[in-house]
Amino acid sequence: MDHFARLGLPAALDLDAATLDRAYFALQRQWHPDRFVSKPPAERARASGEAASVNEAYRTLKDPLSRAFYMAERAGVELPGDGKTIDDPDLLMEAMEAREALQDAGTPEAVDKLAAEARQDVQKALAGLASLFLANDRAAIRKALLRLRYLDKFAEEARARRMNIERSTA
Amino acid sequence: MAYSEKLIDHYENPRNIGSFDKAAEDVGTGLVGAPACGDVMKLQIKVGADGLIEDAKFKTFGCGSAIASSSLVTEWVKGKTIDEAETIKNTDIAKHLALPPVKIHCSVLAEDAIKAAIADYRAKATKKADAAE
Repeated sequence: MDHFARLGLPAALDLDAATLDRAYFALQRQWHPDRFVSKPPAERARASGEAASVNEAYRTLKDPLSRAFYMAERAGVELPGDGKTIDDPDLLMEAMEAREALQDAGTPEAVDKLAAEARQDVQKALAGLASLFLANDRAAIRKALLRLRYLDKFAEEARARRMNIERSTA
Repeated sequence: MAYSEKLIDHYENPRNIGSFDKAAEDVGTGLVGAPACGDVMKLQIKVGADGLIEDAKFKTFGCGSAIASSSLVTEWVKGKTIDEAETIKNTDIAKHLALPPVKIHCSVLAEDAIKAAIADYRAKATKKADAAE
């Protein structure tokens, strides 16, 4: 059973966070070990298996980016794994220029501004992805996800850069 | 994890950081990335009239092993012909820097970057030759 079905939800990228939470907490209560303490071992084992699956489904689907990667895998989109390189010039030039700008950002405010722009790019890319999944356009999904990976990495680097600036000025 | 002295030296004192004008006829640019770790690497060669690589520059955003691998490659290719430079293997880079197994992919990135730079230079040279005909 896939993670969406496990939580009784439609397989959609634009999943409402509150709906997801409600589905998760209801199932978590349903399979909670406390309710199975006096049950036979087989039932206890089943409940703990169900609870683990529900937890994994929730963890995978809660973050929109993680949800997008999961949906891509489900749609059979192949993404380069460890040790695989890409040479898409537009994507890499964008990533290179963003990292250069981050390197040049000398104040926490400058870093925050870049990070905010990157967050907007992530939102826009995720919004565009929803329709790509509906159309099952694998090549476009792959391209969008690679870009999201670099944007996610940028967010991580921006946090590190901000910490370094604050430490050096403290 | 213990890193080799050579690796640490290239990481702490990277050689040939910088950029050439990528539109210049005598410059080949390779831009590659490893999406799984979010690394991006630019490696450029400048080829002299005698066909030898007279200078090389790089810019890498990634881990220490990726920076050291690209730094090493820029040193290695200087003075070589592009055919010779093309024979550089990631295994040579990994061996020289004693990269730990989990960092082998960084040397793959550097090999792909120099190959891409050479391909870019060749494409420019062919275009120039075609235009001259």
